[in-house]
Amino acid sequence: MKIYVCCKHVPDVAMPFQIKEGRLLSEDLNYVLNAYDASSVEAALVLKETHEAEVSLVLIGPDKGKEALRKGLAMGADNAYHICDAAFEGSDSHAYAQILFQFFSDREYDFILCGKQSQDMDMGLTGGMLAQKLSIPYVTNAVGLEVDSEAKSLTVKRQGDLGAEMVQTPFPSIVTCSNDMNDPRIPSLKGIMTSKKKPMEVIDLAGLGLEESQVGSSGSSSAIVSWSLPPERQAGLKLEGDPEEIVTQLMEKLTTEAKVL
Amino acid sequence: MRIELNEDQKLIQESAADFAIKHVKPIAAELDETQEFPVALLPKLAEMGFMGIAVPEEYGGAGLDYVSYVLVMEELARYCGTTSVIVSVNNSLACEPILTYGTEEQKQEFLTPLASGEKLGCFALTEPNSGSDCGSMKTYAKREGEDWILNGAKIFITCATNAQTAIVFTSTNPSQGNRGITAFIVDMDQPGVSVKTMHGKMGIRASGLAEIVFEDVKVPDSNRLGEVDKGFKIAMTTLNAGRIGIAAQAVGISRGAMEESIQYSSERQQFGKPIGKFQAIQFFLADMAVRIDASRLLTLKACTLKDKGENYNNLSAMAKLLAGETATWVTNKAVQVHGGYGYIKEYNVERYFRDARITEIYEGTSEIQKVVISRELLG
Repeated sequence: MKIYVCCKHVPDVAMPFQIKEGRLLSEDLNYVLNAYDASSVEAALVLKETHEAEVSLVLIGPDKGKEALRKGLAMGADNAYHICDAAFEGSDSHAYAQILFQFFSDREYDFILCGKQSQDMDMGLTGGMLAQKLSIPYVTNAVGLEVDSEAKSLTVKRQGDLGAEMVQTPFPSIVTCSNDMNDPRIPSLKGIMTSKKKPMEVIDLAGLGLEESQVGSSGSSSAIVSWSLPPERQAGLKLEGDPEEIVTQLMEKLTTEAKVL
Repeated sequence: MRIELNEDQKLIQESAADFAIKHVKPIAAELDETQEFPVALLPKLAEMGFMGIAVPEEYGGAGLDYVSYVLVMEELARYCGTTSVIVSVNNSLACEPILTYGTEEQKQEFLTPLASGEKLGCFALTEPNSGSDCGSMKTYAKREGEDWILNGAKIFITCATNAQTAIVFTSTNPSQGNRGITAFIVDMDQPGVSVKTMHGKMGIRASGLAEIVFEDVKVPDSNRLGEVDKGFKIAMTTLNAGRIGIAAQAVGISRGAMEESIQYSSERQQFGKPIGKFQAIQFFLADMAVRIDASRLLTLKACTLKDKGENYNNLSAMAKLLAGETATWVTNKAVQVHGGYGYIKEYNVERYFRDARITEIYEGTSEIQKVVISRELLG
């Protein structure tokens, strides 16, 4: 089986962000492998334990994006492709999908896994756009994945608000993974050192056969106009009195102020 | 300020941090309360390769440098003094002397299981009346044919309750003091070896501290580590390396106390604002950060010298001295920052305060480190 996992290098959302004059200050941010993509890598590696499979990682990003690929290789992936070019800066989901489409258009694969969204932009669009461009089935928000390599099909467990559903889809397909699917393995010291010897191919704009007008902000169908922090959390209100008085006050506020009753 | 880590070291640090958060942090308080050795954690540590970090791969280790070792140590100690000392003892005090002084046969038989985590080691040097003055030890080894017969007792031996392999230092020529000590690799399961748990420690309470008694324990000469009467050097060089690990442990404990203090300072409100807005608290935190960074830098400097094969004795002594005293100072201030809550188990800092104290004592007291450093200065 040939499995590809699309990865993204994102700012560590556990660290504080700074926004100045509508611009996100990114110089001092710490970047990590997108958590949803880490779950996708884990899902691929679990399948590899029981099926004969090759797991390849693909990442679009600047030079330091290779750190995310190293982590995926250290987890146990077999090889990686780093799609890297200054022209890609400013790309939105559509441009990313175009780049990935170009990458996959002349490659063979059984299925592609992506995180259901990235932790920085939370768009959740690239997987669907790529599926559309590749004209292959697309299943989202997977929390479980089984493969029938003889029948060349996937059975995907999807989690919705009302419950779970099982979806069967043939090879090739794209599946986006939820981080509820699994708990990604932590690379061992041996895995980290072994990852250094695994192939990592760097591909630039020319190597993909794309023009600058197709990528970056030129190739994007959307643009971020500004950034702002969420409003500061308001102080709470302490209701005082005996329980009956407190309930009376609370009911009034829920009805007349919060208007949820 | 940080010494710049290479790509491998950053990944190692990240993995160690993730492991510590996932597997160590959730059990740290419980270990302290129950004093039960974390047996279930050992296979997980072994699977990560943490039990023989600087041991070559051919002997079951991870084949990494000492910088990588201290990165792991700091991340583990950030949440748990007990876990970090177990890793330190196995790496520095059990694996290291066999790697440095063992025969090829000894490395295959004893080092490989220790480095892979299949077995656990301990370091038996201290006796009831022999601490810093290890030349006064009374545990005695007498040659009988192809074997040695060991008799005596060791105390304060970390991991002894669960170890399978012990590096034991004995007197083989009492009249010669330090120059009459011989080291042996001893199977802890063999007849004559008995272990008695030592309870009631102030900190690192689940580290398996025990007294080991040797009663006519027969040890083959093939288990002798190094030459007869040359064991003192083995003990000292082993401790020189070990104190780098303890320095890293002290840095980790300090960092944990500081980070908890930073969080508490942001949340605790008094006089209408977070206490972190008051200069007294700000100055505590600033002083913590300076001391911790300085301790870390000294520790990393000692590692880089060791990794290059250069003399690192003085630096390792300096690192342990500063880091140990830093840990005591920082954790004390952390309790102060937390006020009354710092004096109660609901918050972690009281455990960090108790765990920190030993870093000024074991693997060479702060005073012994000063002896080492002053000797270097005075010649």
